[in-house]
Amino acid sequence: MFKIISKYSKTGNLKYISHLDVLRFLQRSIKRAGIKAKYSEGFNPHMKTSFGFPLSLGIESIGEYFEVELNEKIDIDDYINKMNTVLPNEMKILKAEYIEDEVSIMARCKYAQYLFSLEGELNIKKLNELFEKMLNEGVIYIREKKNKKNKLVQKELNTKELLKYIQCKEINNKISIEVIFITNETGSLKVDEFMKILYNNDFVPDYYTVTKIDALEHDMKPLIS
Amino acid sequence: MIDIKKLDRELLKVEKPARYVGSELNCVIKDKEDVNIRFAFAFPDVYEVGMSHTGMHIIYHLLNNEKNIWCERVFAPWTDMEKVMRENKIPLYCLESKDELKEFDFLGFTLQYEMSYTNILNMLNLANIPFKSKDRDNNMPLVIAGGPCAYNPEPLHEIVDLFTVGESEELLIELMKLYESMKKDSFDKDKFLEEAAKLDGIYVPKFYDIIYNDDNTIKERKKLNENAQDIITKRIIKDMSKVFYPEKSLLPYIDVVHDRVVLEVFRGCTRGCRFCQAGMVYRPVREKDYDVLVKQSESLFDSTGHDEISLTSLSSGDYSCLQDLVLELLKKYENENVSISLPSLRLDSMTFDIIEKLQEVRKSGLTFAPEAGTQRMRDVINKNLTEEQILGPVETAFNLGWSTVKLYFMIGLPTETIEDVLGIKDLAYKIKDKFFQRPKEDIRGNLKINASASCFVPKPFTPFQWVKQDSIDDFYTKAKSLQKEIKDKKVSFSYHEPKLSYLEAVFARGDRKLSDALILAWEKGCRFDGWHDMFSYEKWMETFEELKIDSDFYASRERDLEEVLPWDFIDIGVSKEYLKKEYEKALNVSTTPDCRLGCTNCGVNYKLVGGTCPHVQNNK
Repeated sequence: MFKIISKYSKTGNLKYISHLDVLRFLQRSIKRAGIKAKYSEGFNPHMKTSFGFPLSLGIESIGEYFEVELNEKIDIDDYINKMNTVLPNEMKILKAEYIEDEVSIMARCKYAQYLFSLEGELNIKKLNELFEKMLNEGVIYIREKKNKKNKLVQKELNTKELLKYIQCKEINNKISIEVIFITNETGSLKVDEFMKILYNNDFVPDYYTVTKIDALEHDMKPLIS
Repeated sequence: MIDIKKLDRELLKVEKPARYVGSELNCVIKDKEDVNIRFAFAFPDVYEVGMSHTGMHIIYHLLNNEKNIWCERVFAPWTDMEKVMRENKIPLYCLESKDELKEFDFLGFTLQYEMSYTNILNMLNLANIPFKSKDRDNNMPLVIAGGPCAYNPEPLHEIVDLFTVGESEELLIELMKLYESMKKDSFDKDKFLEEAAKLDGIYVPKFYDIIYNDDNTIKERKKLNENAQDIITKRIIKDMSKVFYPEKSLLPYIDVVHDRVVLEVFRGCTRGCRFCQAGMVYRPVREKDYDVLVKQSESLFDSTGHDEISLTSLSSGDYSCLQDLVLELLKKYENENVSISLPSLRLDSMTFDIIEKLQEVRKSGLTFAPEAGTQRMRDVINKNLTEEQILGPVETAFNLGWSTVKLYFMIGLPTETIEDVLGIKDLAYKIKDKFFQRPKEDIRGNLKINASASCFVPKPFTPFQWVKQDSIDDFYTKAKSLQKEIKDKKVSFSYHEPKLSYLEAVFARGDRKLSDALILAWEKGCRFDGWHDMFSYEKWMETFEELKIDSDFYASRERDLEEVLPWDFIDIGVSKEYLKKEYEKALNVSTTPDCRLGCTNCGVNYKLVGGTCPHVQNNK
């Protein structure tokens, strides 16, 4: 079995494309690139690919991952070149390598690293105090989710258990927040939940952007180093 | 450019934001400083519908192929996005440049169906462009329109500056060249419209006036400008193998209605079904060469990575090289899980070895369109299909393993009786019997027959352009009696909303007086009228009442054969005499054979082809 793991970017307008649409788009890109991927058996054969945790809509990323199984081994640089020829600028393969590992991408992802950029009149000292609290004491927040019976259920979560690292500083009149979320079985702190905590503490930016930087393994290293 | 940050802040609040951002693969980005003409191709429905439309892909790439033109796209924003745009004062913009529509030279609407007209108004309004041609000065974009509904352009006469009638691949380029030459000096809209009116296929409504009789029928058309033509003759492409067809296709990121390579194999249809407008207005049949099709399919697959190709035309089984083409495509993409779909196959033209081959990759349901339940009714509409020709192929399909069958019918056809309506049930049950009247060991799968009926809408340029549409009550009575009669676990029946078909009939054969109704209905909040959950019959009836418009005059009135019809000034090549003859034959339950088997003198041959039609020659 020849399996390639690729790290790719999803930037610009592609941040509005949902996870399922990205999946289909990448599969089509593999076809366009002329890469001979493996298909499942059966009436409705599908390309053998697997993906990491879905990225929330509206967030750019330079650290997304997917795997594809191939019928024959090809040179890895050749693979990257062929893919990047057919991919748009907003989505490029950044790195790729063959892997033997049977462990899925999702199981390998233990942390997610994000960069927030906030515009507006915000007190950086007070912001860092809040972050300190979120990291050490913890801030309790409510997650609302629809259950199988389509009923709204509430769940109490604590930022302390979901944060690994958080720090902010001012760069070019903007506030830049570097944060590492813990991703476990129950899911991680979501970007909009994180922003909501800021709003609830009266930190309301005029405008902000979010970029996912990478997915990290248990040793805090990216999936492809 | 619109305020991108503002848009960005709001986009996550709407459903499917990808509808409003562009950046799809193969979309064309140019520098606006490098072009002389900016053209906004406007599709008056949601993104997913518009992106599935082949004509849009053709025009988009056709225009962008010209160095001096940048063609971009704009679709009707769904109601959630409309709200966001109005609240935040974001004007309607094109996906490629994010420039607002006001900055464009042309705004080109495609008129695919009458129920999208209020969306045209809504799009103009969201772009802060006045509705009426007379209120738009030299600095406003020219609002042009084409497509199948342009064969009766009159309901939009005050709104659209000019219409293109017929196939516009060549005409649009001529029009753009004319515009470019006139834009150099200080541009004068009226002068441009005068010059444009001289081009064959261009209709400028403001150069004509309509005089009405006391009974509201048309007395005469008066030409107000000497440059305008008396009769507007539709344009056709003579050589389909040489006409522009995109090598690349825009690849949407989100799931659209038809998510596949679309390859047009020919235009026109020889069958002569009397209810079908497309069958008349797209005459004559013109095929693309086999080699051209193979080449085009190759580049379209390569540029998209699609795994499905749809071979489109009217009655695709009539393509003379269909078998060769299908086999070649299957051979070519044998190892790539590519499937082929033929969305418009007639029962009698189906060659089952082809269908069976297609199914090797993916099994799907079969769809048949007998259109009517009894032989008498099918003869009236000239479907030229006997019961044996329906049941035979259905039985073959069952033997090959199919068990899901969709059946399309119409109710409210001219001369229809309740026996004809109930014939729909009889036919569906006969099909059911065919399934079970086979040896037990052959019966596989779970039979499911889905019969559906749409309400007949008489259309201009068909032999039924004079008939009265059934009333809404008639439609309900007929549909409900069928619903009552069809009581079978294996057979289901559904029908199309009669009120919607009524409104469609009003506008399909409407005249100039309906322009005001469109505007008032829009003011009352009508949008996306073709969408069931959005359609408000009450608002439309209020509109007609307030304007003292008798909507029955358009939908439920039988016209005298000598009446001047609002669309009579357009020449589609097929003569009015032929349509009259066909109407009389329909009333006498007499059929007209497929014109491949011999010319039936519809007129298109001497008016547009200049000789015998190519498909007739091929058969000699």
